[in-house]
Amino acid sequence: MNPSMLTTDQRDALQELTNIAMGQAGASLATLLDEFVDLSVPRIRIVEVADLPAALAELVGKNNLVSAARQSFYGHLRGEAIVIFGEPGCQALADLMGFEGDLGEQGETELLLDVANVLCGACLGGMMEQIRNFTDTGGPAELSFSMPSLMARQVTAGQLIDSKRVQWSHALLLEVNFTIKNRDFIAHLTMLMPEEGIDKIRAIVDEFLEAF
Amino acid sequence: MSLPILVVDDSAMARKMLIKSLPPEWDVEISQAGNGKEAMEAYRAGKAAVMFLDLTMPEMDGFQVLEALRQEDLNSMVIVVSADIQPVAQERAMAMGAIAFVKKPVSPDMLNSVLKQYGVI
Repeated sequence: MNPSMLTTDQRDALQELTNIAMGQAGASLATLLDEFVDLSVPRIRIVEVADLPAALAELVGKNNLVSAARQSFYGHLRGEAIVIFGEPGCQALADLMGFEGDLGEQGETELLLDVANVLCGACLGGMMEQIRNFTDTGGPAELSFSMPSLMARQVTAGQLIDSKRVQWSHALLLEVNFTIKNRDFIAHLTMLMPEEGIDKIRAIVDEFLEAF
Repeated sequence: MSLPILVVDDSAMARKMLIKSLPPEWDVEISQAGNGKEAMEAYRAGKAAVMFLDLTMPEMDGFQVLEALRQEDLNSMVIVVSADIQPVAQERAMAMGAIAFVKKPVSPDMLNSVLKQYGVI
């Protein structure tokens, strides 16, 4: 099967799985920041790796400056979680968390990494919980994470990934975003999985669809 | 006569999950809507004595549906079914007229107890 294909039902099921998972991430963020967080409808793309920068730019807005942190996950699923913060996200975050004065570059980086870690952990954790509850995983459906690291500060989304350095042919791209109204805050949580991950996700959503 | 109920969610799978989780003995006539606009049309057509309403949807979201219902007399018992589990989302939905809030993913037990609690079944 062409890796670019997901049936309408598979796409719908994956979108709902992502929606439930992001609800948990949104609740974690709301608790952390003590603000109401608006959740987006999840977006799903399967793209050739060469088109990844353009796909990210389209999802995030191509002229917007962003800062981003990434975290690898491996185990039952393998891929990269990238949290892309719109500018002036960092200052907004610092204000929301009650920091006063200039945090300095290191302080800002730590803040971005902490928030990225919370979002990735909650969202992927939520996804795994559903996989455990609704599918016969044939083994422990667990994930491990690398330490979060900073990808870039103040670049456009299209500059975040150098597709020549990605060893995959296709990527499954899931995107959800969290906004706080009146605070100029937006964070996009994107998950990227390579082609064999697409097959695995397809098998998982098929099990979901059979269960209902 | 069967009770007209409306299941509103942009995900077909989520609607299916919910419908499968309804009490089997409950005598209902089920309609479905994929967004808020369709939900309002079905409501105006009298298809929603009880409405199961998702919050995060394109076109017109669940909060906008609650607002529109309030302006049109809210002649429906609205049970919000959402993955948005922030306490504030729940409080806001209830303040806007929802009678109950059910977290996704739904289960038959959870729905049954909510429907019993509010005297719907």
